[in-house]
Amino acid sequence: MLPGDINLNDLFVFDDGIPHDWFRWMRANDPLRWQPETEGAGYWCVSRYDDAVAVSRDNVLFSSSAGGTNIFEAGDEQLVMLRALMLNMDPPGHSKYRRLVNKGFTPARVANLRSGIVEMSREIVDSIAERGECEFVDDVASQLPMMSICDMLGVPVEDRRHVYDLSNTLIGFDDPEFQVSDDDRMGASLGMFEYAQKLGDERRANPGDDLVSVLVNGEVDGEKLDDLEFNSFFLLIALAGNETTRTVTSQAMRLLIEHPDQRALLVDDPSLLAGAVEEVLRYNPAVIHFRRTATADTELGGQAINKGEKVVIWYPSINRDESMFDDPDAFDIRRSPNEHLAFGVGEHFCLGANLARVQLNAILGELVSRLPDMEFAGPVRRLHSNFIDGIKEMRLSFTPQGKVT
Amino acid sequence: MKIKVDYDLCEANAICMRESPKVFEVDDDDNLQVLVEEPGEELHASVREAVRLCPRQALKLED
Repeated sequence: MLPGDINLNDLFVFDDGIPHDWFRWMRANDPLRWQPETEGAGYWCVSRYDDAVAVSRDNVLFSSSAGGTNIFEAGDEQLVMLRALMLNMDPPGHSKYRRLVNKGFTPARVANLRSGIVEMSREIVDSIAERGECEFVDDVASQLPMMSICDMLGVPVEDRRHVYDLSNTLIGFDDPEFQVSDDDRMGASLGMFEYAQKLGDERRANPGDDLVSVLVNGEVDGEKLDDLEFNSFFLLIALAGNETTRTVTSQAMRLLIEHPDQRALLVDDPSLLAGAVEEVLRYNPAVIHFRRTATADTELGGQAINKGEKVVIWYPSINRDESMFDDPDAFDIRRSPNEHLAFGVGEHFCLGANLARVQLNAILGELVSRLPDMEFAGPVRRLHSNFIDGIKEMRLSFTPQGKVT
Repeated sequence: MKIKVDYDLCEANAICMRESPKVFEVDDDDNLQVLVEEPGEELHASVREAVRLCPRQALKLED
């Protein structure tokens, strides 16, 4: 590998998986590598754990709001829209919104959802168990996040597919297979906003104990959320809640199939499940990168950074930093400690981390115990993206089993 | 070493409990309990890591 080959803008590279050779080289030789761009000013790549923690914890110097959290350079009008998403806010504004929504996601609240999530997982595995084959992403991995996030938001069962399709269109923009044009994307945003509006109006009139009711009736600084704020919340939660957990569920099954020794350990000893989930999160975090923008001239890991420059954290690299993880390229479900940053750290730490952990434990526990011999029945096809480490198709076969419900 | 918790920031993510279970406990009602307010030398490393990795930066140390 020649360092001159490194181009993290090249999405075709990501079709074959995360370019770990590149990241390994960067961590060792150029931990704050400058990545030039043809359609942008270029950006600094954070590849080491400690630098990622430093950037994530300093929201004043490394802003989420100044230029958003995606690499592309948004225009002023677009930035206004982006900044309505909590993801692209800084404190103190961010902290206020966060306080409003986090009530729905605390460990105690999520613990109340656990039995429902376990029940849904059972039904999902039932839906494929007798067939002996499935397309894992659509039939299994996408189901639980969609059901549980919709459940949480209060989206009725008959509308779930609609919300799910919109969320797919919104996230799949880089992949030509989804043929998503800018118009489609705009249409999907509007569709999501319209749907949120409708549901929000309903819950304003008839509040329930779902998150939408909390959002439309709750207050930030004594004021209710306006339509743009509420709709943006809804969009972000629907999107983040669907794509990420689906991705990690698919990656988990791929990793277990590719590492039969590790799967055998798990089948023999289900108490290893929680650790296995953490190792999957470390090994293939769903989100590949997030960006910050330097708000002043500064220095990071010995590298001078100028005000206004983009700083991009690459989580797959952070999670394999040799200084934090022994033998980082080994997939080891018994790894301990395992302080991966798949959920980030600092102000923007994943709101849904608790929920994701419960979901992943439930669905993988069900799969590993009931269908322990899943095998590939076709190529694993990855999302054409350097943002989400997604799998778009994964055909699997297994020994058919009976239903349990 | 003395631990201070900003309860306005704390979200009960329980990362501190993982890093330093002898010092931090998140109870069933999502309240963070500091079990040892002035932890002994042997716990300092784990407490520092808990402070560093607190997602919400709700933990602070005083000498």
